Amino acid sequence: MATTDQEVNELIKREYEHGFVTNIESDTFEPGLNEDVIARLSGIKKEPEWMLEWRLKAYRRWLEMDEPDWAHVGYPKIDYNSISYYSAPKRKEDMPQSLDEVDPELLKTYEKLGIPLHEREKLAGVAVDAVFDSVSVATTFKEPLAKAGVIFCSISEAIRDYPELVQKYLGTVVPHGDNFFAGLNSAVFSDGTFVYVPKGVRCPMELSTYFRINAANTGQFERTLIIADEGSYVSYLEGCTAPMRDENQLHAAVVELVALDDAQIKYSTVQNWYPGDEEGKGGIFNFVTKRGAAIGKNSKISWTQVETGSAVTWKYPSCVLRGENSVGEFYSVALTNNFQQADTGTKMIHLGKNTSSTIISKGISAGKSSNAYRGLVKFGPGAEGARNFTQCDSLLIGDRCGAHTFPYIESKNKSAIVEHEATTSKVSDEQMFLCRQRGIDPEQAVSMIVNGFCKEVFKELPMEFAVEAGKLLEVSLEGSVG
Amino acid sequence: MKPAPTLSTAFLHPAGQSLPEPLLALRKQRGTALVDMPLPTRKTENWKYSSKYLKLTDDMAISLPAEGKTGSSLAVPGYKVAFLNGVMMPEACEYPDLDGISIQSFSDLSDEDASDLADRLDSTLDNKAVQMARLNSARFEDGLLIRLKPDAVLDQPLFIVHEVTAEASGSAFPRIFVDAGRHSQITLVEEYISSGSAPVMVNTVTEFNVAEGANITSIRLNMEGENVQHIGSTGVVQQRSSRFESHTVGFGGPLRRHDLQVRLEGEGAECKLNGVVVTQGKQHYDNHTTIEHVAAHCNSEETYRNIAADQSHAVFNGRIHIHQDAQKSNADMNNKNLLLSNGAEIDTKPELEIYADDVKCAHGATIGQLDETSLFYLVSRGIGRREANVLLTMAFINELVEQIPVEAVRETVQGRLNHFFEQTFQEA
Repeated sequence: MATTDQEVNELIKREYEHGFVTNIESDTFEPGLNEDVIARLSGIKKEPEWMLEWRLKAYRRWLEMDEPDWAHVGYPKIDYNSISYYSAPKRKEDMPQSLDEVDPELLKTYEKLGIPLHEREKLAGVAVDAVFDSVSVATTFKEPLAKAGVIFCSISEAIRDYPELVQKYLGTVVPHGDNFFAGLNSAVFSDGTFVYVPKGVRCPMELSTYFRINAANTGQFERTLIIADEGSYVSYLEGCTAPMRDENQLHAAVVELVALDDAQIKYSTVQNWYPGDEEGKGGIFNFVTKRGAAIGKNSKISWTQVETGSAVTWKYPSCVLRGENSVGEFYSVALTNNFQQADTGTKMIHLGKNTSSTIISKGISAGKSSNAYRGLVKFGPGAEGARNFTQCDSLLIGDRCGAHTFPYIESKNKSAIVEHEATTSKVSDEQMFLCRQRGIDPEQAVSMIVNGFCKEVFKELPMEFAVEAGKLLEVSLEGSVG
Repeated sequence: MKPAPTLSTAFLHPAGQSLPEPLLALRKQRGTALVDMPLPTRKTENWKYSSKYLKLTDDMAISLPAEGKTGSSLAVPGYKVAFLNGVMMPEACEYPDLDGISIQSFSDLSDEDASDLADRLDSTLDNKAVQMARLNSARFEDGLLIRLKPDAVLDQPLFIVHEVTAEASGSAFPRIFVDAGRHSQITLVEEYISSGSAPVMVNTVTEFNVAEGANITSIRLNMEGENVQHIGSTGVVQQRSSRFESHTVGFGGPLRRHDLQVRLEGEGAECKLNGVVVTQGKQHYDNHTTIEHVAAHCNSEETYRNIAADQSHAVFNGRIHIHQDAQKSNADMNNKNLLLSNGAEIDTKPELEIYADDVKCAHGATIGQLDETSLFYLVSRGIGRREANVLLTMAFINELVEQIPVEAVRETVQGRLNHFFEQTFQEA
């Protein structure tokens, strides 16, 4: 095994490919948080009075809240006053109207990330609303979307242009006081995405946003709101990478989904933020609140996520199944390596009749990482005939890592049925032997076995993402078996 | 935020001064540590579902008087030890003088033995996880010490009856410590019963020290009345190749709580934990178990079944913790629940915490109601709907009850369960 060990060590040392910094002057706030900062932020974004009020209310509420400490993760205490709450690319006065006007530095960054905006536009049929730090700088494919009546813009624009929609739904799924990080986000969210799909419209293409954290010391507070009106369908992709940094960066996003009668929302995430180096230094703190409200009859919300990045992840995409016959789904692959810590899972809250949900969670831990599934399945008294199936499997690679499962199951309705099962295993010697016997090298064999382990989740991803996800796992895992 | 309520100082005055000096000293020391102990609230993770049922009024702080008559509900062959309100009643005990086995009340211990015991009390329990067991350590008035020399075998089950007489409000704090030497064997039956109707609390601690190759069977029957809050803690530490088997049968009450903690410290140790809970009316029952796989090559198997009727509430929280060196561990946890009514609630949380890679761990949990097809099958063959319900519900837990190795206990339990279900399905 000596050679393998050596190979392994080399591979483990492979550095983060996407670690680079784009040199663009940023217009950044001084670190610190108080009501003035929020007012200034709101002013810069030319927000209406009600929005500022909303932020301040959230801020006051947040001051009274405690940072949660129940998650199975450990990280140094965050000083929220040492973070800068706004950073925008400099030339904001003349926002680009088309791609040609976009700062070429930025375009290069996207190219390095493998998002050739101008080429992929038509080829892949994906409209990309790329968020660079905190302000949307380029949006494509707006026209065909507009033709279908779909609104796809930054949340700042939406606040200005569609205040009635924003006011009606913002904070209804994740209220101010929901949790510490959501409260913080509500107070200082910088930008994000807004999607509205009108009645009966099937969104003509997959919508996608690439996030990227850039300027040093800048917390990124995205806010996403997606509303699918009666009988509509939308598929939304989210993917992230971040440049290499030594200092921990905080990311506290909020995603709210609202599905009305017969509507369907499919939300897919590939997350590859900087996980810290092999010593566990640096890396992104990812404290995200994602929740969908299936308020309409026969509505459906589906979360699919592939998580390979971040130093610390705290994330529970959830579904509140309020409408009759509504459906919630959660498919997740979470991979941790080195010193990464992940505490992730989902909540399925069944309130309506005949609601059903499926949870498939695959956790892979390698190195000295810790990977926890934490889930809640809850049936209210009115959840007549509701149904849940949960499967969470863990795969351990190496003997210094941890895999944990904390499922909460609560039922108040006798006709509701819940099934939960979980297993933990490792890549077995027999599997490896079988592969090696057939001339497959150990790296490939592991990658193959892991891919098989995750297949149930990958098949839920849109094609382009599935390819990317497979690749990501390969890179993240290479060298972890010896 | 308003500060969490703390334990009333009324609870810090132990009665019964007949214990040997070292134990009195220990009790005092534990009591001092309890000053300002926060009581569990909804935010206390391991009391999340049960804290609202915990009602400790000052009049319950009084120790129940250790006098009166006892009567076991189990008329069975075997050896007997009787406790009344937490104090051993020698006149009601029946057990022979056996070679290599000593069964003694804490009060009868020599100072030397008592000092040795004082060093070891609480050692099997993770005190952070069982806050309420600390109250027992500060209040126990008597206890039972069972010591088995190497290779000693108790030929018949030992029945320990814990009775509380609730003529007036108060508390009882029974305590058992079992020290099982190498390759020794014992079957222990703990039965908790009550008389009277005043609100009382029973706070029990049972500890097992299981040496290499020893084989212990523990049966615990919780059959107290509707006025008794029961908070029990059991701690087990197992050495190499030892075996521990636990069967708990619980009927609900205003608050029923049992914490069972097993530490597999020696290679090849094995434990099997079975539990059955039935609740009705507005009753509550909460089982918390922890299995710590500390050493390699250990096996654990856990099966719990809950049935909740009416507006009752049943909770199961099972935790398996595989430590880093515990390679080749096998752990299997299974929890199935039956909800018989829409007002009832079941909460379950089967947890796995794993730090070793070469292990086989699985857990499963389900909540549901009786299968319509099975019901239909029985009804279509001329069995009444009510009878069919009783039959199927009984079958759901009988699988576990049948594994109780003492026939007399098994039959009593089956009889009581049958009666319980016939009552539950009366209206149906």
